[in-house]
Amino acid sequence: MTAAAKPRTEILISGFGGQGVIRMGQILGLAAIKQGHRVTMLKSHGTETRGGYVRAQLVISPDYVDSPVVENADVFVAFSAPAYKKFFDHCRGKILYDPEMVEDVRAEGPERHVAVPATQLAKERFNNVLFANMIMLGALTRLSGLDYEAMKKAMLEVIPRFHEQNLAALDVGYTLPALIPA
Amino acid sequence: MSTLAPAVSEQLVAPWVEWARRYTRGRRLLEAGTYALTEGAIAAGCRVFAGYPITPATDIAEYMSKRLPQVGGYYVQCEDELAGMHACAGASLGGLKAMTATSGPGYTLMHDAYGWSITNEIPLVVVDAMRVGPISGITGAPGQGEFYIARYASHGGNFETIVLSPSSVQEAFWLTIDAFNLAERFRTPVTILTDQVISDMWEDLFIPEDYDALDFVVPRKNNLMMPFYPVGSADLDVPPNVIGHGTGVCVSAYTHTEEGYDIEEMEAQWAQTYRLINKIRHHRDQLTRYETVGVEDADVIAVAYGANARTVKTGVLEARRRGVRAGFVRLITLWPFPDELFERDVPYVVCELNYDGQLVREVMRSAPDGKKVRFMGKSAELHTVAEVAAGLEGVARTGRIPELPYIWTEVR
Repeated sequence: MTAAAKPRTEILISGFGGQGVIRMGQILGLAAIKQGHRVTMLKSHGTETRGGYVRAQLVISPDYVDSPVVENADVFVAFSAPAYKKFFDHCRGKILYDPEMVEDVRAEGPERHVAVPATQLAKERFNNVLFANMIMLGALTRLSGLDYEAMKKAMLEVIPRFHEQNLAALDVGYTLPALIPA
Repeated sequence: MSTLAPAVSEQLVAPWVEWARRYTRGRRLLEAGTYALTEGAIAAGCRVFAGYPITPATDIAEYMSKRLPQVGGYYVQCEDELAGMHACAGASLGGLKAMTATSGPGYTLMHDAYGWSITNEIPLVVVDAMRVGPISGITGAPGQGEFYIARYASHGGNFETIVLSPSSVQEAFWLTIDAFNLAERFRTPVTILTDQVISDMWEDLFIPEDYDALDFVVPRKNNLMMPFYPVGSADLDVPPNVIGHGTGVCVSAYTHTEEGYDIEEMEAQWAQTYRLINKIRHHRDQLTRYETVGVEDADVIAVAYGANARTVKTGVLEARRRGVRAGFVRLITLWPFPDELFERDVPYVVCELNYDGQLVREVMRSAPDGKKVRFMGKSAELHTVAEVAAGLEGVARTGRIPELPYIWTEVR
């Protein structure tokens, strides 16, 4: 057996407790496993979960993942201003941010920044901010070219209730006009 | 981060290499280390869990409270960790495989029960999910502060311990079964020394579909005949005592005879110590589990275990990519300490999650030249790939580990 080059995709999701950051990572990870990939997800949070800072670090690879630490994220999902500030330097790829939560984005790398108004859309469409994470996941699926059907299946497995609304929320994110190439 | 290391030899020496090859029908999940430790125990035939919840081992208690009733087992919530491990010892003496789980603050409370279990040769499994300390430290941050505590898990001396450490969620599953097997075969408590990262981390996990079909699980046998304690021998596979079947087995904390009665004789002390130490030392070939990468031609070898072995391994590959001939040793069996893995006379860089330096002292003792052993201690967070690569590059090119924030290099 040999240990050689191993391609890996690093995804960092962070926000406040209660926004569904870990759930989002869990669905993303399970979808990748269903497609035959190896996955690690580190989750870290303060002592209190609701309202405190939460971070999910995912690594997805066709082979066993050695280091589970995200040091250079290919995608960074920022659900809060403190998260955006804290982890900006850990990302070298796209940054999906919720403009209602992250009001000031850095001037550098505008082409890397993608605004996904997940919280606003969740309020408008579902009258409930809890669906923001599924809207964001839909957007992430589109932007990263992930398998949408696998993502839906994984979501249905992970989330016990409100399947219809969650599917609809995924769809809102997946079909965001701004993300669809002309 | 992708590494572009040229191909290099890799070896994993553990019984589950074969187990995983033979059992391929099952489910692939995304689950936490605590889940894998629980399922491994259930698969190994554990039917009693007694303990007291503590972060980051609480989920093991929670999973156990759900799983054990489903398989005809018993979950006991105790008033503290001391009671928890004593209850496990009692359950094991009653004929059932038992496990408890805790973190550092609870592990130290178990030492009275640990000594009882060692001297009375009671098979048990204890999980210690280490967090950073001293004492309560930070609940959600990893540490490796119990390397020596797990070795010296009781006062009084005159014993050896068996301690295993997994470095992935999948390995936690197989290794837990292995720990139960060793506990039965060696008639002793076995510690699974894991950490907050492995217990809390979620990872792809294969679970075989039918636990009853796992033919490598060592079943519980009961000893209903005298002598209950084979003092003076180093024999393995001596079934443990069972109480409650008219056996009249005597269990006490004192130096004992073959029948278990207290005795204050030099000869008995010698015979008991001979057994407790040599039943493990004489069978080290059956106990050593490890992983290596590229050690044959390495100019510098990184050493680690548990969670941070993963970033250390990636750091080794990154150093190789930078042209440093770096090797890697990951210990899975921590105790008895596998001296034979450190026979090459090259610099070793020992990476562990504490600032005081514990594992590094054993590598200094085992290596041909202890002065060539370097220390990279970190606390509360895994070593980064960048830090490990810089450390290895520094030692290979200049003989020194460069100054890095939060990295401790002094061993006194």
